Amino acid sequence: MATEILLPKLGFSVNEALLTEWLVADGATVSKGDILYALESEKSVQEIEAPADGTLRILKEAGETYDVGTVIGELL
Amino acid sequence: MSEVKKKRMNMSQAINLAMHDAMALDEAVITLGEDIADREGGGVFKCTAGLSEAFGTDRVKSTPIAEQAIMGAAVGAALAGMRPVAEIMLMNFITVAMDQVVNHAAKLRFMTGGQTNVPLTIRTTTGAGFGTGGQHADYLEAWFAHTAGMKVVAPSNPADAYGLLLSCIFDDDPCLFIEGLPLYFAMGDAPVQGERIPLGKARIARPGSHVTVVSYSRTMVEVMQVAQELEKQDISVEVIDLRTISPLDMDTILDSVAKTGRLVVAHEAQVDFGVGAEIATRVHKELFGRLKAPVGRVGAARSPVPFSKALEDEFIPTKRRITDAVLETLK
Amino acid sequence: MTDTRSPDTATLLDIYRKATLIKTADDRFIELIKAGQIASPYYSPRGQELVPSAISANLRADDYVITTYRGIHDQLAKGIPLKPFVAEFMGRATGTCKGKGGPMHITHLESGLPVTTGVVGSGLPIANGLAWAALLKKTGQVTVVNFGDGASNIGAFHEALNLASVWNLPVVFVCQNNGYAEHTKYEYGTGARAIVDRAIGYGMHGIQCNGNDVVEMWSAAREAIERARNGQGPTLLEARTFRFRGHLLGDDGHYISKEIMDAAVAADPMPALRSWLMEQGHATEEQLQAIENDNREQFEEAVQFGLNSPYPDVSELARDVFAEEAGV
Repeated sequence: MATEILLPKLGFSVNEALLTEWLVADGATVSKGDILYALESEKSVQEIEAPADGTLRILKEAGETYDVGTVIGELL
Repeated sequence: MSEVKKKRMNMSQAINLAMHDAMALDEAVITLGEDIADREGGGVFKCTAGLSEAFGTDRVKSTPIAEQAIMGAAVGAALAGMRPVAEIMLMNFITVAMDQVVNHAAKLRFMTGGQTNVPLTIRTTTGAGFGTGGQHADYLEAWFAHTAGMKVVAPSNPADAYGLLLSCIFDDDPCLFIEGLPLYFAMGDAPVQGERIPLGKARIARPGSHVTVVSYSRTMVEVMQVAQELEKQDISVEVIDLRTISPLDMDTILDSVAKTGRLVVAHEAQVDFGVGAEIATRVHKELFGRLKAPVGRVGAARSPVPFSKALEDEFIPTKRRITDAVLETLK
Repeated sequence: MTDTRSPDTATLLDIYRKATLIKTADDRFIELIKAGQIASPYYSPRGQELVPSAISANLRADDYVITTYRGIHDQLAKGIPLKPFVAEFMGRATGTCKGKGGPMHITHLESGLPVTTGVVGSGLPIANGLAWAALLKKTGQVTVVNFGDGASNIGAFHEALNLASVWNLPVVFVCQNNGYAEHTKYEYGTGARAIVDRAIGYGMHGIQCNGNDVVEMWSAAREAIERARNGQGPTLLEARTFRFRGHLLGDDGHYISKEIMDAAVAADPMPALRSWLMEQGHATEEQLQAIENDNREQFEEAVQFGLNSPYPDVSELARDVFAEEAGV
């Protein structure tokens, strides 16, 4: 069963954030807790961990700003 | 309960009687404020005279000059199941306690999903005409009527003050009870002891047929005088004393204006963004097409309360301005 | 007078259970936020776990605890039930506040958590009212109000301490001094040498302790709580501690120097407590692991409960504004 990767809210008045880069290649296998991507919001750049084990399928490209809650990828 | 020996009393005495009766009725009723205990004189306007002697200084407490502490203590005691009556000496000083009133008292029932509620009453005094200047006489009821969770009450006479204060104290929501300074000294009919006046119910102070005037608190005095004078010119003014500002008794207002077709709202607070604006909008919406004139509003000048009597007398809604507004609707 | 009583093994293990539950909760909440399953500003108490855990070991169930938006440690230590607690963080109808308050206003009356405030300092004046009511009702309840070093500079702090002193109220004012008021280091925002110094200014008993040392924190709390319960009035209790995860999740902590952070990490109270308990013979590795596993399981149950709970119906907007449903 696929786990959706949702863009998180990290900050006080944040409703969107810049997905600066994917730190794992599309199609790579990851374990829960591995660093998956970098996110820039209000105050800082955060590295976000994988929420589950799986094979990464990237759905949204890096370098764009997305709303909090956007499904940016999946772990299959 | 202490007996009402007089047939007439002033508002300070009526409030004092309500406090005595409430505290005798229910141990949960407690009160705090600056100088309110008897050792300090029983309140600067004597509204709390005799309470500490009767009920003790655990239930009746003079406080330091510290409005945030006063209001916060009232919030906390209310959360613990008491019915605190916090006196804020002058309404302008409520600004020092705004966080406790607006961010806490008004909102805790909702934010806790109904687990707690804040059955406190804030008694406060205001009103221009005494040369007290820009920071001691503002009518700020619109701010609190604008705050979901607050109830706002403004009696215009002693009997109403008694009945409304009892209702505020025993209401399960935070109530702001506004006492008009000049009204403390004016004599009126004594209340029926023990009788509460329900919140959210206006009173037809004077029936009429040509134009409705809605008012409250101290301005009722001028409005009633204007109505009496206009009667001599065969203009029949129906006067509604709101008594409670929020929740508004729109039924009484709409019934009246549906009959007269004309409305003026008069209050001592600023006109702009005031209670009159809210009433006018609702009336325009509900009675659109049936009004004979747009709703008129009379209120204080758009300035801080001035000191000089020459200015202060014109700052307050005068009988002339009220009369002009009424006549405007009849053109 | 120095009291030489120490917490016994059972008390220490209870404190450890609470502290590790707090850390588990904090780690898990952060995971859930980064996974996009909770959308809320989040104020981590990581590093401050021992403070409320040791304090609560001295409290009755009906004592009041007030806290702030950085309050999960205070709430969990007081014994808030996990399922409605987590559900409230997730904004669900099954939350403690039906989803209407959220993390900054966690309230659970039965657990003695009558109010959590999102405005710095506002809980202190409210604590006085709860304490006043307790005196009037003669319940013997003590009110503990938690706040940070930043709050000790706001007007409400000063008004509340003065009033509590004048009225001799059963309040313990717990300042969890973690060294930073949002992004401002203590020295740049506070005129007093130490927050406990302010107690003298209010005619109040003052205690300063290392909030990250379980025995010191427990003893200081016991002293303050007993004083309050015995009619000796309020105490300003400064518990020195540290917070590892910044003011708000998403904060990059640039205002904390590397030296200070490294030293704090080296002095992390959680692994220190764990080792100490075993060294002192209070618990074995197996016992501690059992406590930790139990906490993780219970918290996970609460997380699943929350994720599977419904959101509140829009009709809830009209409810709990006034005693009667809105229609004003």
